[in-house]
Amino acid sequence: MRLTTRTAVAATAAALLLSSCALSGTSTETRDPLDAEGEITGEVSLQTWALKPRFTAYVEGVIAAFEDEYPGTSVTWLDQPGEGYAEKVLSQATAGELPDVTNLPPDMALPLAREGVLLDLDQVEDDLAGTYVEGGLGAYAFAGLEGTYGYPWYLTTDLNYWNADMLAAGGLDAADPPTDLDSLIDQARTLKDATGAYLMSRKPGMNDLVSAGIPVLSDDGDEFVFNSPEAVALVQRYVDAYAEGLLPQDVLTDAYLGNSELFTKGEAAWSTGGGNFIAGVLENNPSLEGKIVPSPYMGITPMYVQGVSVPADSGNLPAALALARFLTDAQNQEAFAELVPGIFPSTVASQDNPELAESDGTAEGDAKAIAFTGLPDAEVLQPVEVTEAMSTVFDQQVAAAIAGQVPAQQALDTAVERCNRLLAD
Amino acid sequence: MSTVTTTTGTVRTHAWYAPWLLCLPAVVFLLAFNLWPSVNGVFLAFTNVKPLSGGEIVGLANFERMLSDAQLATALLNSIVYMLVCVPFLLLVPLALALLVEKKIPGIAFFRTAFYTPVVASAVVVALMWGWMLDDRGVINGMAKSLGFITESIPFLTDRWLILFSAISLTIWKGLGYYMIIYLSALGGVGRELHEAAAVDGASAWRRFWTVTVPGVRNTMLLVSVLITVSALRVFSELFILTNGTGGVGGANVSVVMLIQMYARGFNGNLGYASALSILLFLITLGPLLLIARINKKAG
Repeated sequence: MRLTTRTAVAATAAALLLSSCALSGTSTETRDPLDAEGEITGEVSLQTWALKPRFTAYVEGVIAAFEDEYPGTSVTWLDQPGEGYAEKVLSQATAGELPDVTNLPPDMALPLAREGVLLDLDQVEDDLAGTYVEGGLGAYAFAGLEGTYGYPWYLTTDLNYWNADMLAAGGLDAADPPTDLDSLIDQARTLKDATGAYLMSRKPGMNDLVSAGIPVLSDDGDEFVFNSPEAVALVQRYVDAYAEGLLPQDVLTDAYLGNSELFTKGEAAWSTGGGNFIAGVLENNPSLEGKIVPSPYMGITPMYVQGVSVPADSGNLPAALALARFLTDAQNQEAFAELVPGIFPSTVASQDNPELAESDGTAEGDAKAIAFTGLPDAEVLQPVEVTEAMSTVFDQQVAAAIAGQVPAQQALDTAVERCNRLLAD
Repeated sequence: MSTVTTTTGTVRTHAWYAPWLLCLPAVVFLLAFNLWPSVNGVFLAFTNVKPLSGGEIVGLANFERMLSDAQLATALLNSIVYMLVCVPFLLLVPLALALLVEKKIPGIAFFRTAFYTPVVASAVVVALMWGWMLDDRGVINGMAKSLGFITESIPFLTDRWLILFSAISLTIWKGLGYYMIIYLSALGGVGRELHEAAAVDGASAWRRFWTVTVPGVRNTMLLVSVLITVSALRVFSELFILTNGTGGVGGANVSVVMLIQMYARGFNGNLGYASALSILLFLITLGPLLLIARINKKAG
């Protein structure tokens, strides 16, 4: 009995001791900038996100060119699958095993930067502003944190796509598409009355509020403020449109791709998408060939940024920084943009490249040109503080308002309260 | 101590540590992936730990938070309704199916296989298929409209209760075959001579069912009810997929496990609150189990 008690006490103590390890978190050491100035040689790791197998040749080409440029370096390339990337990065960061150069979108970089996991590039770079466009760099400068925590890699943006045949059947012209929410709802009504088809097929997200000039988060980033009268009025427009039958039931529980899926199926005449959206649609529904017409985004154009970051505890900082610069330089980014229509370089030197702004006359070419010319005014719309859970809460409450279950004001108040709670966690 | 000589050497078979050695892999596995996470989960429930930043002990704060969590109240209601509907259906219908397919008649293997097929199908794939069928423009609404039964689509996937009962129907449909197999095994242990004796005494088929079959499978019914209760309270896949991961309109169709997943995931995961929810779910699951055990004891 005595042995049993002693064993139980020891086991409990061990468990609590081990549990307490979980409380310690990650280390937040400050890196000496001089560490970055050593010789560029040795092994360095690069982690990308879902680039294999489509872009294997491109990435291997960049790596080979880097190793040629810096003899004595050896790059180990890790490509992670699209699903579960955040969880993978999280486990790497907590284990202190984040690769030397890691592809991190701003929303993943923010929590890592806050915990001191990522290197502040302002400490080691002199001319970031002269090398990368403002919107790209700004995406890696976070409220409440000094510094820049990622090299902008490639940029994408959204634009509108219209099904010309469906519009024509309703007496509408894809060459003269809606340019704001009022005309969108008007044309949705016209199309529904004439053919019974839907033009609109998504409910507003936080992006739509920001795009309409409505603040979502307070300036200091401490609380959500999307229950303003302006936000309520915008949601109410959708409530009324749904009540009028201008939106399908799917909008109440749609997933992220719900809108584009309906467009691809030919069940909705409007969708938003990136510069290479048409290729994806035609791959799944070739019958839409020649029927898709692009036009600029309504409101403030959204910008999506991908970048690479370097962990503060990188074992080979000079080589890591050299690789990050090399991967994101104008030449390599332009080559990548040529390979993937619809993505654009984040380098200042590339912004005058005439090829990026020219269309070859096809709808795909028009989309690429519209997307590129929209970039200078584009902004990262959704605050990086917004997590998946917060987006879900917002969607749930907006759906309840659109379904007529609760008034728009009450829905947004509830969403703000719950999102603030998640923000405070 | 006995020994066995082999071509490669001598193996001691009756050493005191031999059983422990054989059990070691399983024990290590259980400690690492079962016991340790459970102990750690209990500890984390009293902290505000986050994946990256660590945290501190916050006492009962996570449990106090539950009292004002409206989403948790909704999730608990959903889970309890799920359990209350699933238990009777999955307790009785599989028994009836087992009695039907127990007969040794030509072609019965086809029906046994047909009833069991949903069990081997992936829950995610099945839920996706049901989602497509129940969609606004899915097969069911389409057929009902074309046959003139309805003019407007039935909101299977957007109405608060219709989503819940759609998910419950899916769970029942998928579970029928599994519990049917368990009952089939139990029915094999009910002596044929008892049925024959009852028949000779003039008992009807209905009476033989209640006085011979049911007492014969009573322990299995208890086991089945425990299994259904636990799985119903821990429902996740069905509701998650039918609501596209949104938890339904207004979040009215979340389950407790969906909430745990929501709070635990990502860089900003609140591991403390998620762990506290896990403990709550454990305790809630324990309640019906103890009740069932008590009923069984009384009946025994």
